Amino acid sequence: MAQLNIQHVDKIYDNNVQAVFDFNLDVKDGELIVLVGPSGCGKSTTLRMIAGLEDISAGHLLLDGKDITQAPAKDRDMAMVFQNYALYGHMTIYENMAFSLTLRKENPNVIHKKVLAAAEILGLTSQLNKKPSQLSGGQRQRVAMGRSIVRNPKVFLFDEPLSNLDAKLRGATRREILLLHKRLQATMLYVTHDQTEALTLADRIVCMSMGHVQQVGTPIELYDAPANKFVASFIGLPPMNFFDVTVREGMLEGKGFTVPLTEEEKGVLLPYAGREIDLGVRPEDVAADGDIAMSVFSNENLGMNTLVHGHIGHSGAASNKISAKLRGWCDYKDGDSVGVSFSRKHFFDKESGNAIRKGEKA
Amino acid sequence: MNEEKTIRLDRMRYMKNTLSSGFALLAILFDVCFFISIYESDVGSWYYTILVGGSILYNLIFMLAAFLSSEGVKNYKIGYSYLMIVLGIIQIARIFVYPVRAHGAVVTIQEQAVTVMETAQFTRVVIYLVLSAACLFIGAIAGIIRSRALAGHLASLDSQAA
Ligand SMILES: Nc1ncnc2c1ncn2[C@@H]1O[C@H](COP(=O)(O)OP(=O)(O)O)[C@@H](O)[C@H]1O
Ligand SMILES: [Mg+2]
Repeated sequence: MAQLNIQHVDKIYDNNVQAVFDFNLDVKDGELIVLVGPSGCGKSTTLRMIAGLEDISAGHLLLDGKDITQAPAKDRDMAMVFQNYALYGHMTIYENMAFSLTLRKENPNVIHKKVLAAAEILGLTSQLNKKPSQLSGGQRQRVAMGRSIVRNPKVFLFDEPLSNLDAKLRGATRREILLLHKRLQATMLYVTHDQTEALTLADRIVCMSMGHVQQVGTPIELYDAPANKFVASFIGLPPMNFFDVTVREGMLEGKGFTVPLTEEEKGVLLPYAGREIDLGVRPEDVAADGDIAMSVFSNENLGMNTLVHGHIGHSGAASNKISAKLRGWCDYKDGDSVGVSFSRKHFFDKESGNAIRKGEKA
Repeated sequence: MNEEKTIRLDRMRYMKNTLSSGFALLAILFDVCFFISIYESDVGSWYYTILVGGSILYNLIFMLAAFLSSEGVKNYKIGYSYLMIVLGIIQIARIFVYPVRAHGAVVTIQEQAVTVMETAQFTRVVIYLVLSAACLFIGAIAGIIRSRALAGHLASLDSQAA
């Protein structure tokens, strides 16, 4: 029904700032795509180009096979939900939701049905006669979504819709968006700088940095097999630890520590023998049952886990810092030493930052 | 009952009765026109001064009551529709208080004989009062019909839910 193809899209602003470089993505019908990346990486620009609020400098945009690169925003059959909800304060919730249809002079009875159906989906039925000022932040966000739903667009676009909400509401509203996506079976593009939102919501994640797409894939692909160091450090909380190591016979040699390798890892690193690479280890992949000596300088109990910060090897080297998420309740003191092991390791080429995978040439 | 009609009824749950409230406001507007027009009278005696003064005092009460009614009927409160009918009847009755008595009456001002209200002015003020009353009646009738329809619809929703 709604298939979106974004082909080689660039954005160069009038001041010659290039915000997006060669963006390619095929969005399948009913898919929820999350664009994630740090602030200023071009996520909003990309979304605004898709919505038609910003010109596309180069490339093509196809909706259901039809080229809409030049089509004005109002003809694109897309609805955008903004961070600030932009509701009309003097209108009731009902009128707010009906507004875009009233403007298009649709039959009031048809509008009525659509508004009631959207309110039902969003659980706003009992709020319809209220004014926006009488609603909570989360409810207002739902009204903003309701306004899009009544238009029955082919594609929903969300630009950081949760960033105005407090942490607790954010979680609840996130689940509601997921539920909404399931009910409407609609194609959605969702922009956020929050990797947790990306992992929890997305069918597929597009991870961006400085205008370039770094990786496209399912949440588990980005978490398990990050394409490069940027994705590895951006996805996952607390972020991945990186160590400067040299590939030696059967092991990795760091500054004052060594890490044993499995047979499979040896095979992957064969072309890198004797060279420096980056070793990446997620905090949750560190276990307190090994031979690598970690000296502790802080211990944060999170309940189920304990987040332990410290370093391995020489204390002076900046790249030797490590965070470990250890199971259970630990009580390490400053200066304690723990023997740790790495249950999963990620390897990155020092020069390109790309992940080193099996069978790839160095 | 056909679906179209049900939906139309259902819409009233969320749409205000702006038709009735609009007519109430229009009635106030015509009343203001009346109010301004009667100032043109040449009152030469205490008798007409008191009549005009009384009419103006009542105008204040009228505007307040009509404004409250416009807010009430907007929310389908049937009592305010009845209030509008009462206000409309009083508007008609007022014709016989000041304009009719002043029309063609002659008073002496600085030893000159002067007509208090000429026919042209009389016609104008009567038209204003009649229009004001008509607006009140139309708004009230629409309000009564709609309020009853909505009440019936809500009752049927309740019985469906029960
Ligand atoms: N209207 C504009 N004119 C010029 N540069 C812009 C404009 N809007 C955004 N930019 C630049 O484009 C880059 C990407 O911005 P944006 O898409 O808003 O990032 P994000 O939404 O990922 O935080 C930023 O460097 C920003 O400064
Ligand atoms: Mg942005």
